[in-house]
Amino acid sequence: MPTQASNELLRDLEERVEQDLETAIRVFQNLTLAVLNAPSASGGWSIAQCLWHLDSYGDYYLPRMEAEIQKGGQPSPVFSSGWLGAYFTKMMKPGENMKKMKAFKSHTPPTQLDAQQVVAEFIRQQEWLLKLLREARGVNLNRIRIPISISRWVRLKLGDVLQFFIMHSHRHMVQALRNVPM
Amino acid sequence: MRDAFAALQQLTNRFQPLQTAEWDAFAAIWSPVSAKRKEQLTLAGEPERFIYFVLSGIQRVYFSDGAKEATLVFTYTHSFGGVLDSLLMQQPSRYYYETLSPSEFLRARQADLLTLMANHRSLETLVRKGVTWSMSGIMERLVELECFSAEERFRTLLKRSPHILQLIPHKYLANYLGMDATNFSKLLNSVRI
Repeated sequence: MPTQASNELLRDLEERVEQDLETAIRVFQNLTLAVLNAPSASGGWSIAQCLWHLDSYGDYYLPRMEAEIQKGGQPSPVFSSGWLGAYFTKMMKPGENMKKMKAFKSHTPPTQLDAQQVVAEFIRQQEWLLKLLREARGVNLNRIRIPISISRWVRLKLGDVLQFFIMHSHRHMVQALRNVPM
Repeated sequence: MRDAFAALQQLTNRFQPLQTAEWDAFAAIWSPVSAKRKEQLTLAGEPERFIYFVLSGIQRVYFSDGAKEATLVFTYTHSFGGVLDSLLMQQPSRYYYETLSPSEFLRARQADLLTLMANHRSLETLVRKGVTWSMSGIMERLVELECFSAEERFRTLLKRSPHILQLIPHKYLANYLGMDATNFSKLLNSVRI
């Protein structure tokens, strides 16, 4: 399983979130409602739907991660992924040959959305995530476990949840950016 | 870094030109520092220990009681930053100072600034003029908050700094203008500039 220094992992994740947040601020929050709500060229999700999907994950994970991080603990210098965590993160990585995945029902966006509110919520959550990544430097990424949203009896290490949560966001950011008119 | 000090000198010259020896003494108290997005530089309840000169990024001074929040001032490239009243009155700050985007600064310690002001008349004058200019801006803003409609406030902000829409989340702009985020979005849709 992948193993790396906890500080490096958190620094890399913070950098990833910073870049995606910067894109949301520079691009998404300034788009018109028509652009935000337009389905993709292939008939897939609109930008607002992509971000709603991410917000629905944030609604679940951010308060849970915060509650665990606030309990405190001792940081571990090294983080080792669990096998399932590593698998999820790998699956989320956007790449050349991205396979289409079906969203779970509770995370499937409706068609009518308050698009600007959805973008604002995404930005709020990403700022919150930056704060959590900084606070996570003080806790043990191996020991804290978070139940996953689609199956509450599967509990993954905090370090794995952070990785797949952020990779998943990035994947849909890439998807949403394809809908932005040039 | 030479550029940073050149920009600092340009700004101070606008308020109060300094003799070489005074400029050297003033320049010597500043050192570079950087911060990421959403870092709290000053906390309410703690004294403001620094004055900042912004090299890049956008920051805000804001009030928060946990439930309500008020954005008082934005600071940006080549402006002074920090909680000025706490800094000069040497009292705990009532406000927070935070970065809204990744930021670089020069900053000087409060004690060093106060010592220089006590020893150099022209530096005392520099700070007085800077604070007066800042007060004048705050009074102008109070008029806008009291007398302008939401749409007029929105237009004024965008005319003054149109690029700011791409740099920080709109909720901070809405809060600064004293309107809720929904109202801000509506204006953004109707008043495309």
